[in-house]
Amino acid sequence: MAQRTPSGALRDRRGRSASGTRLWTWLMLPGTLWMTGFLIASLILVATLALGTTDPLGNPRFGFNFANIAAMADPAYRIVLLRSLGFALIACAVCLVVAYPVAYTIALHGGRFKNLLIAAIVVPFFANYLVRMYGWSVVLSDGGPVLKALRAVGLADAHTKILQSGVGVIAGLVYGFIVFMIIPLYAALERMDLSLIEAGRDLYGGPLRTFFFVTLPATRQGAAAGAVLVFLPAMGDFVSAQLMGGPNQIMIGNLIQDKFFQGQNWPLGSALTMLMMAVLFIGMLGYLRRTRKDEAEAAR
Amino acid sequence: MSPEEPPPVSRRALLRSGVAAALGAGLAGCGFLPEDRNAFGDPDRPIDVKADGDLVYFNWADFVAPAVFDGFEKEYGVKVIQSNFDSMEGMAAKLNAGNRYDIIFPTAKWAQRLAEGRRLRRIDHSRLRHADAVFGKYRYFADPWYDRRSAHTVPFTMYKTGIGWRKDRIGDDLTGSWKDLWNARAEGQVFVLDDRDEVLGMAALKLGLDIDTADERDLARITATLQSLRPRLRGFSSDSYNNLLNGNAAMTQAWSGDMAAMLGQAKDPSVLGFEVAREGAPINSDCYAIPANARHPGTAMLFIDYMLRPENVRKNIRYIGYPMPVGGSEDVYASIVKPFPQCLVSPDDLKADLFFRNASSEGEQARDTAWTHVKAG
Repeated sequence: MAQRTPSGALRDRRGRSASGTRLWTWLMLPGTLWMTGFLIASLILVATLALGTTDPLGNPRFGFNFANIAAMADPAYRIVLLRSLGFALIACAVCLVVAYPVAYTIALHGGRFKNLLIAAIVVPFFANYLVRMYGWSVVLSDGGPVLKALRAVGLADAHTKILQSGVGVIAGLVYGFIVFMIIPLYAALERMDLSLIEAGRDLYGGPLRTFFFVTLPATRQGAAAGAVLVFLPAMGDFVSAQLMGGPNQIMIGNLIQDKFFQGQNWPLGSALTMLMMAVLFIGMLGYLRRTRKDEAEAAR
Repeated sequence: MSPEEPPPVSRRALLRSGVAAALGAGLAGCGFLPEDRNAFGDPDRPIDVKADGDLVYFNWADFVAPAVFDGFEKEYGVKVIQSNFDSMEGMAAKLNAGNRYDIIFPTAKWAQRLAEGRRLRRIDHSRLRHADAVFGKYRYFADPWYDRRSAHTVPFTMYKTGIGWRKDRIGDDLTGSWKDLWNARAEGQVFVLDDRDEVLGMAALKLGLDIDTADERDLARITATLQSLRPRLRGFSSDSYNNLLNGNAAMTQAWSGDMAAMLGQAKDPSVLGFEVAREGAPINSDCYAIPANARHPGTAMLFIDYMLRPENVRKNIRYIGYPMPVGGSEDVYASIVKPFPQCLVSPDDLKADLFFRNASSEGEQARDTAWTHVKAG
């Protein structure tokens, strides 16, 4: 199979020497230090703090008590956690449905405009997420241009609202993270061997059958990667619910943010963070298992 | 591989040293924890009032008229080095991290926490030429609850909490009670502040309870009252100003300072209203304070005195839209908020003493849990 792998580097490594290995090991050092310093260290800090308390000034103190962990049993957290899970999953599904045709069109029919089109999708995301969401909250407000226009043409009445609704929050999540779905899908489609599609056609598959039985399965790893990349940040997001949501759309990220800022209760916030990470970890395990199975199948 | 060559570092060894480094960094994170209380000398020692360096200033953004800064720099030949915080918690975190500022502006509640933690320098009022306009006229601040005899603080601004509404949507007059938030005409267009104390305090006032209550039974009643508001609520947001202007809110719990600022922004201020409830309006104040580790406390004292000069008080009130407890400045503020006379904070308002105070650790925890229930539903 004529694989269009861009990684010449990989091929070099196959003929590696001892000194080559050492070079690669040392090149890993900055990345490893960075990750341990800023990711693992902060994780350890959060995990330890979850057992802590606060002093009268509101400063966190390390300790060894399980009150914060026990507080996680409060049904309020369960409701909010399940809601966040639901919102993130729906956002993921919507992203997939919207992103697939976009990635497909660019990868297979983009021609020489491919890179330009991808740039056009990525560049708006250079602006800060918070700023863009704040902008949307003004545009979609009751007195904003969108509802004004809809009312003028009779598609909305005085009571129609977009903000402070579940639809608003999910739309915000989709808008915020869809680029993480488009890029891996684009990469998967771009990498796909087009002769597979031809083979599907040769075997009397119609366009739809070929798409569902050849193209889609061939790119499902891209879709899975995109789903993870969208799901993780969407689950922990608080900006969308803060700016687009109402009292019934509060997500776990909002509660965590509350504990760290308003409540000045870092230990409880840390415990909530650990709870959310535990849920995410279970989800990730499922994903890793699945991809391992895929890899094993591919290797056969 | 020749024997004299050192073996390549294995991935495992690299990871192991990484974990050790992570543990080290994690423990180093404890740096923000306990700290020597008198690390910077006795906070009670007197301050020599003279320019002893540039002023490192730490406040909310846009809270002093730029012209006032310019005047101070010119008169005393020092620079003002500005930095801003966006919440009291953010300010405390910076102080705890050991950052050194010469002047900060905590709210009453935070002033108490900092003063009790011996984190503030003592301020001798007799060394401030304009102190009498503050403490003489506004007797409340001569011995406020948050700082005995205002020994470490000088009050800066005051504000209270009420209800802002759109007259074009709800009508010209409300009943002057917190019950107005339950008004049927505003259903689905009501916001409350995204602030634990304000929301719990509002329900406490409506029920005739203490605004700082941490009693389980009181909190249960407060939570139940707020649950009855929840279906009518459009959201929790402290952006009252924009919510009213862009039409998302027909009515919102609001701070007087925001409402005064909104008057300047509205195309037609006559469609807006602001009232305070007869059950009581929570009140709050910011103050000047000098951290114990300030490098230039002398300049900070000069700055406070400079800010209290009548002409500078007037400039600042016009610039930020908050009233200040300085005798002789009341007319300036009254003229700014003519359509919303309820924004004024009088010595009598202060006497009602509806400040949000610090609770014990358990009390804070109980209030926090109640707030989570109110918010999460």
